[in-house]
Amino acid sequence: MNHDLFGFEINVWADAAARLGLIVSLMTVVVMGLIYGERKVIARFQQRLGPTRTGPAGLLQSVADALKLVAKEDVRPKSADPWVFELAPYFVFVPIFLMFVAVPFAFHWEIRVLELGIFYVLAVSSVNIVGWVMAGWGSDNRYAMLGALRAAAQAISYELPLVMSLIAVGMVADSFNLTDIVRGQGQVPNIVWQPLPFFIFFVAMLAELNRTPFDIPVGESEVVGGPFVEYSGIRWSMFFLAEYAALFILALLGAAIFLGGWAWPLGEEWGLPWQLALTAIKAGAIIFAIFWVRVTLPRLRIDQLMAFSWKVLLPISFVQVLANGLVLVYEPPQHIADILLAAISGAGLVLVVMIMNRSVGKPRPRPVLTNRAAAATPPARSEAAR
Amino acid sequence: MRGLLKSMGVTLSVFARKPVTRQYPETHRPLPERDRAFPLLLWDENLDEPFCTGCHACERACPVECMTVLMKDNPAHRSQGGTSTRRKIIDKFWIDYGRCMRCNICVEVCNFDAIGMNNTWQGHEQSVYDRADLIQDLPQLLAEHKAGDVKPWIAP
Repeated sequence: MNHDLFGFEINVWADAAARLGLIVSLMTVVVMGLIYGERKVIARFQQRLGPTRTGPAGLLQSVADALKLVAKEDVRPKSADPWVFELAPYFVFVPIFLMFVAVPFAFHWEIRVLELGIFYVLAVSSVNIVGWVMAGWGSDNRYAMLGALRAAAQAISYELPLVMSLIAVGMVADSFNLTDIVRGQGQVPNIVWQPLPFFIFFVAMLAELNRTPFDIPVGESEVVGGPFVEYSGIRWSMFFLAEYAALFILALLGAAIFLGGWAWPLGEEWGLPWQLALTAIKAGAIIFAIFWVRVTLPRLRIDQLMAFSWKVLLPISFVQVLANGLVLVYEPPQHIADILLAAISGAGLVLVVMIMNRSVGKPRPRPVLTNRAAAATPPARSEAAR
Repeated sequence: MRGLLKSMGVTLSVFARKPVTRQYPETHRPLPERDRAFPLLLWDENLDEPFCTGCHACERACPVECMTVLMKDNPAHRSQGGTSTRRKIIDKFWIDYGRCMRCNICVEVCNFDAIGMNNTWQGHEQSVYDRADLIQDLPQLLAEHKAGDVKPWIAP
């Protein structure tokens, strides 16, 4: 059995190995680029320059960091559970790489076309929380455990709105195949018909990636790095690699599902470089937005975080799925269906914004100090002694 | 919500601004007018010799005793057939920049305005690998003013 890889007919296993190698090398390069990019972008957000010393314009900074991390000692605490501790990075790392299988970069540029692409990506992406909890448990460290449990709670809470928002889009696109979804957006990207799911997707993505303002699992000031406290060297860098790889993949997913991937606005006739550039620009815009949110917003409290997921995002995403179903089940003419979907989703977005406005906009009245409180205070110690 | 959007706008406007960072070893900020680094000796261009007569005033006044001064008869004095009006002149002069605390007292006590505080960036960038290299001798102390690198001082 032979397979087609860039026009070459090769053995299935060799093909699989080649594709795997491609993913791994692409991932490493992209992650190093992302780390460099993040440092540069965030530096600009703070009127700094970012890395400038290592290589031209600091371009080799990530390479130097990677080398340093590889060369560092890989410490395992004596009381840690050896198997759980050492295997945890792989459980975080492998699912993220598995997500890559279905993500389309350009026309016919994906590892495999999967009929249930969205489903597969979501199913695989939720596995890595096992790795986080393993890291927290295996480290035998209270901070790590706390961080891991926070990560688990947060990831599970935000998994649901993420899934529901993508299901809503899948209903509109009439397919779960990522390539089909992208090709269906040749004229208008899905974000126009489904702005609410895009918003939910973006917020849930931030939470899934444990990025500010949803970074309580790894918040330095609270749990000193969460599940990663005890990790060092290559294992720690694997967590980091997985984090940035997930960022890249989710941005690509968002670009493909909501922003039209390589199809919009140039269409499929344009060549491969244009398609790749389009995908890169769209994913880059999403990544930039993530960095932007990161430098702007402070960390949420865990109760606010949970409340936002369970009380706002999840119900509203269910309503979105229901509404989409109601519109689509009667099979109205295409343009009417489109307008209805856009109107409902837009109204939903306005509703979410209003809810957020209600919860953040108005400061709560401060408790007023009364004289009763003053009267209740015990007399000063010196008087009591007398 | 409006606060969220507003804050996003603020950060974006900062993003559009130019970074304020200066790449220090490559670019130097202009120094303040009355900046002072380490003391150096001044060069009398008219007579082509140092102003310093080696009178030991600065050495005696120095609170950290970082100076060592040796005086000699000026070979270029009129009595010797030269043009100089200085009967005595500096023979050897060492300042240990590692001990100097840049108090400016030597400049104030100098009767001949022969010593001044370096007001250039070179005067600040004195890092060496060995403390002994911080001890400056006469040619080193004279070189900068002789080359005309020092800016004119502004009176307080």
